[in-house]
Amino acid sequence: MPLDKQTKRSVQVLGIDAGGTMTDTFFVDSDGDFVVGKSQSTPQNEALGLIASSKEGLEHWGLTLEEALSGIQTGVYSGTAMLNRVVQRKGLRTGLIVNAGMEDFHRMGRAAQAYLGFAYEDRIHLNTHYYDEPLVPRHLTRGVMERIDMSGNVVIPLREDSARTAARELIAQEVEGIVISLLHSYRNPAHERRVRDLVEEEVAAAGKTIPVFASTDYYPVRKETHRTNTTILEAFAAEPSRQTLKKITTAFKENGSKFDFRVMATHGGTISWKAKELARTIVSGPIGGVIGAKYLGEVLGYSNIACSDIGGTSFDVALITQNELTIKNDPDMARLLLSLPLVAMDSVGAGAGSFIRLDPYTKAIKLGPDSAGYRVGVCWEASGIETVTVSDCHVILGYLNPDNFLGGQVKLSRERAWNAMKEQVADPLGLSVEDAAAGVIELLDSDLRDYLRSMISGKGYSPSSFVCFSYGGAGPVHTYGYTEGLGFEDVIVPAWAAGFSAFGCAAADFEYRYDKSLDINIATDASEDLKTAQAQTLQAAWQELKERVLEEFEINGYSPDKVQLQPGFRMQYRGQLNDLEIESPIIEAQGAEDWDKLVEAFNDTYGRVYAASARSPELGYSVTGAIMRGTVPIPKPKIPKEELRGATPPEEAKLGSRKFYRHKQWVDAQLYQMEKLQPGNRITGPAVIESDATTFVVPGGFETWLDGHRLFHLKEV
Amino acid sequence: MNMQTSVKTRGIVRGGETLKEHRDRLMEATKRTKHYAGLSKMALRDAEPIKYNKLFSRLRAGVVDARETAKKIAASPIVEQEGELCFTLYNAAGDSILTSTGIIIHVGTMGAAIKYMIENGWEENPGIRDGDIFCNNDSLIGNVHPCDIHTIVPIFHEGELIGWVGGVTHVIDTGSVGPGSMSTGQVQRFGDGYSITCRKIGENDTLFRDWLHESQRMVRTTRYWMLDERTRVAGCHMIRDLVKEVIADEGIESYWKFAYESVEHGRVGLQARIKAMTIPGKYRQVGFVDVPYAHEDVRVPSDFAKVDTIMHTPSEITIRGDGTWRLDFEGSSRWGWHTYNAHQVSFTSGIWVMMTQSLIPTEMINDGAAYGTEFRLPKGTWMNPDDRRVAFSYSWHFLVSSWTALWRGLSRAYFGRGYLEEVNAGNANTSNWLQGGGFNQYDEIHAVNSFECAANGVGASAHMDGISHAAAVWNPEGDMGDMEIWELAEPLVYLGRQIKASSGGAGKYRGGCGFESLRMVWNAKDWTMFFMGNGHISSDWGLMGGYPAASGYRFEAHDTRLKEIIAEGGTIPCGGDTDPENPTWEAMLPDARIKRDKQAITTEAMFKDYDLYLNYMRGGPGFGDPLDREPQKVADDVNGGYLLPRFADSVYGVVLADAGDGMKGVDVAATEARRRAIRKARIEESVPVSDWMAGEREKILNKEAGVHVQQMFAASFKLGPRFEQDFRAFWNLPAEWKLMEADLPIPSYGREYSMDISELPDVKTVQFVEE
Repeated sequence: MPLDKQTKRSVQVLGIDAGGTMTDTFFVDSDGDFVVGKSQSTPQNEALGLIASSKEGLEHWGLTLEEALSGIQTGVYSGTAMLNRVVQRKGLRTGLIVNAGMEDFHRMGRAAQAYLGFAYEDRIHLNTHYYDEPLVPRHLTRGVMERIDMSGNVVIPLREDSARTAARELIAQEVEGIVISLLHSYRNPAHERRVRDLVEEEVAAAGKTIPVFASTDYYPVRKETHRTNTTILEAFAAEPSRQTLKKITTAFKENGSKFDFRVMATHGGTISWKAKELARTIVSGPIGGVIGAKYLGEVLGYSNIACSDIGGTSFDVALITQNELTIKNDPDMARLLLSLPLVAMDSVGAGAGSFIRLDPYTKAIKLGPDSAGYRVGVCWEASGIETVTVSDCHVILGYLNPDNFLGGQVKLSRERAWNAMKEQVADPLGLSVEDAAAGVIELLDSDLRDYLRSMISGKGYSPSSFVCFSYGGAGPVHTYGYTEGLGFEDVIVPAWAAGFSAFGCAAADFEYRYDKSLDINIATDASEDLKTAQAQTLQAAWQELKERVLEEFEINGYSPDKVQLQPGFRMQYRGQLNDLEIESPIIEAQGAEDWDKLVEAFNDTYGRVYAASARSPELGYSVTGAIMRGTVPIPKPKIPKEELRGATPPEEAKLGSRKFYRHKQWVDAQLYQMEKLQPGNRITGPAVIESDATTFVVPGGFETWLDGHRLFHLKEV
Repeated sequence: MNMQTSVKTRGIVRGGETLKEHRDRLMEATKRTKHYAGLSKMALRDAEPIKYNKLFSRLRAGVVDARETAKKIAASPIVEQEGELCFTLYNAAGDSILTSTGIIIHVGTMGAAIKYMIENGWEENPGIRDGDIFCNNDSLIGNVHPCDIHTIVPIFHEGELIGWVGGVTHVIDTGSVGPGSMSTGQVQRFGDGYSITCRKIGENDTLFRDWLHESQRMVRTTRYWMLDERTRVAGCHMIRDLVKEVIADEGIESYWKFAYESVEHGRVGLQARIKAMTIPGKYRQVGFVDVPYAHEDVRVPSDFAKVDTIMHTPSEITIRGDGTWRLDFEGSSRWGWHTYNAHQVSFTSGIWVMMTQSLIPTEMINDGAAYGTEFRLPKGTWMNPDDRRVAFSYSWHFLVSSWTALWRGLSRAYFGRGYLEEVNAGNANTSNWLQGGGFNQYDEIHAVNSFECAANGVGASAHMDGISHAAAVWNPEGDMGDMEIWELAEPLVYLGRQIKASSGGAGKYRGGCGFESLRMVWNAKDWTMFFMGNGHISSDWGLMGGYPAASGYRFEAHDTRLKEIIAEGGTIPCGGDTDPENPTWEAMLPDARIKRDKQAITTEAMFKDYDLYLNYMRGGPGFGDPLDREPQKVADDVNGGYLLPRFADSVYGVVLADAGDGMKGVDVAATEARRRAIRKARIEESVPVSDWMAGEREKILNKEAGVHVQQMFAASFKLGPRFEQDFRAFWNLPAEWKLMEADLPIPSYGREYSMDISELPDVKTVQFVEE
């Protein structure tokens, strides 16, 4: 990433990661060079922070905003604004229509929402449980009389007068959106759609414009708590976010841009800010990194990738297997049960800022779950932090440069960290300060390593068939620790680790994905005719979803022939409650032999994910869902390709040395400036490679070399 | 040839001891030193605290992860949605090292099964080898009830046994007299369902075919049974693999030390918490529950069981200055001819589960807590029966009502130390259990067992209301499940799911409310259902002036004509039975046969399509005088459907005013006046304690009490002489006053004659408590 090129550039891609504290922008030019801009976030008007961050980044290239924006074809946004709106309950006044008699179910949160997102200790500690305010309060909820059963049969015909009354009462309460969610509407949407039409009639009759959201039009999947929450998010939070995105688009257009922003979505693709289902952009930032890793893998030929991202508060892990993301269908986010397809990403509540405490009763070492976040630790006097953190350990052990944290913006005190560590951890455990700090790091690394290992083995693989990507501001400090001994095929740290999520956003496909619940049940020895009939049921669902995907692309001006479609399905052994998502080996399902191919793909995956002994084909099979994904090609950042130089790093990359503690001894670690290292350079530990936004630690027993794509490869020697 | 007659064979435990020798040595050292396994020093933890923590956190994460992964194999919503499963890792002696979340009461019950195998020579016959799989659900050796099925797998390292892993799931049916996992019709073990005593069911990680064939035909719900078993086996094998990996990385020596030190660590941890959070002294409390079996809707096979009785558990907690403690249940009722008996292990393990929810909510929970607690359960009581005929299928009926008293006892200590947040006024009686069976909507033999009551109201603390529809004392991670999932599992459609107003006890801080579901039978054939819960007695009290939670009742409607009412456009019952004293559904179903009464325990009744069943989940008790509750909160409760409006006035002394939009606010001046009036009336109604006691004493002398009350005390006196002495002294009763069961006009089979399981040939029971 040579930052000194002064020729006229053509900037093509902009990726944005608007986090809670920092807004990162990532620009890519036509040669594949990129630059990262950083600025404080501005939650009141996000556009301000974005413009500032862009200017800051482009300054490195000597470009003004106007010069750069005119050529950009693609802009991808990811951010936490919608999530924050949900967490703070600052959404629109939303009304909810459900079955008569069940008006309480949304606020009851299925009980599970009382402890979602809690750590082990709090999950068992009953008096810590609590419910958040429901997204829709009880007094804005109404019931309509009807019932449809699990097979889609009508038990009680819809009583239309109850729907009209419900609509009128909610309209009178001045709601800004109305959500309708009736039981089993995913199976038979007739009543719910009729209620939707009646509500729209009443809205029109009242002379108002209130958007109406029927769950079946958005998330036609089983489990009413999930489906209802998710549809409510559309009304409650997505519409305001749409306005925010519109504002950002406008702000950039005023500065000369010609593109429409797309938004990173939970399923791992990007969608237009005009998309119907915008709730799925609720979480987007961390997904960016996974998409970036997937893209790098596709270009460089890695098909199995373990993505690991450490920031201040958490360690996020996601797996890419055979170039495919793993998708979770009923995840929880912001303490809500949802039915969004979400790139499966597991988080451990332990990051660089995690607090370290000893349990006063058992003296057990506890890491997190709370963290100092951007306030680093005791080592930063101005932070006001009094409990030691993981970063304090790093400062004590010489892993971090106290004078160059965030490029020297924050000065850290090793002495403060040392004293606090002695008092709070080392003395009570009877250890030296260095051993206590090293022990904590070892414990954290071991936790993260186990986590990685269990995630990979949980998918039925071993680490030796995976390449591990390590990124995030704090990732490269820990990379050696959490990969040591796992036997990964390769361990890769991109030189732009700190801006990797924004890079990933820029690399994401333009992709829509729709899901639909199905109930296809079939015995293992079913007749050919039955298999054919079931294959065709699935095909009908694929067709319905395909039309919706194509419709979304039409809004953005892509004709159906530009769209590449990939069907998928969810299957389980009959009677089970959990299914597996399988990418379909066939594009269309018509006959019995097609059915058998689907079953074969499922049995293979099941045996890998659980255990061969857990396979239960004698029970027969159920297809529980159909999936359709559609993509169109978009310009993506080019991966840099530079010529390899010699193995020896240039002298100007060297920054002197620092005392470094590991394995019970102090050694001298050679320090390097990351940006000055050249492709082909090989560095043997102990060494610390520093840049403004990240620090890459290469301890003794490890070696790293920089390849032509500016990727560091870390190896145990 | 001169052959030596006694060759000492090498045992299977690491180092060469037999399992029995190993456990004997540990227990002897524990007894002698008061430290688990004689570990007065924890060598590994002290020398290498980082490694010790690493071992702990890695193993614990793996056990939790195994539970999360394995539960997805199951088909039963009880396992998959409610999380009614648990995996635990044990050392070679069967003491637990660490556990997953879930139904962690089984940390103790599976350990008891392992210890039973150790004490009864399983090592020689049937033999214990690497790759073996054992199954147990025997309540006579420690299980809670037969529907909790244990899978137990030994862990070997280089040919020697180094530990065990156990997995348990709560299955939906065990083939007892009635369908459902906690049926009520039987009064003896022989109708309690399939019972398996530590049976070897597989070798070389493969289940035996005779086991598969036999076990599947012993239960009604075969598919659930099979997939539950695969869930347990897969989870156990995942954990066994994890242990092997850990040993490969950290060495067997470290693991071996850890497996024992961690138990001692848990014991010390409990002691430290008791010291930090409580005040030394004696805490006394009591629990009751009703067994209303004289009613015509309880159909049991035996005349001697057709009686109304009350179960009784007085308890005394003694906390000593050094943080050790003792729990004594002198005065508890005898076991009975019903399914609410419990084994000493389930009783004590469950108490431990409660403690993890408030006293020791830490990752480091294991059998150390059991070694740190002294229990005394008199032999012959319902929680330590001395007869092998007893039934257990719904032992929870009284377990939850006995333990709620312990919350109150401990809470007084927390309160005294200022830990207001930890106070818990008691737990809900975790019911109703909707159960039944027949042919379901898929035309298969079926049993149902709704677990909606995993989400009851929680008792209030001393600084806030208990949360509503949230948890159960046996599993703090409550989950009521999605209605759409229950409708897949049960041929019953929902017509309502609503918060149950006034089900939580009133108080300055009120108990959390439960909720209720109205179900209509749909697509069922030859169908039955029944009720299981408390009805006449509210089993939780409330604390420091707080009110008890509402007790239970039943509502069922037959011959409803709902098919016609729906077609005609008539009014259909829906939502909740909001105010049971002013019911509205009866008028909508003029021709129906309705049962609405306090008979909250029944046996199988016939139901058909369009019949109705109300499933009402109980609330938790309150804390503090309701007159001290902030008036606006009372108005909020009315607005939110947590309180019936008429109780705002009568219980809370709050006068409501219209606040617009159909909402209620507070008339402040009128409320102050009303509260003054209530306080004045209280004083006017009060009498000196001595007068009151004199009056009560007269009643006692004249035996002016229901037969069930007299029977309850008579039975407690017989088994608890000290309880009787205390009672006599308190009421100053003359020596000639005697209360004997034999004198009462109801049968009391089991009163004089009983025969314990330990009296069977070749059976050695394991003693866990003082008797």
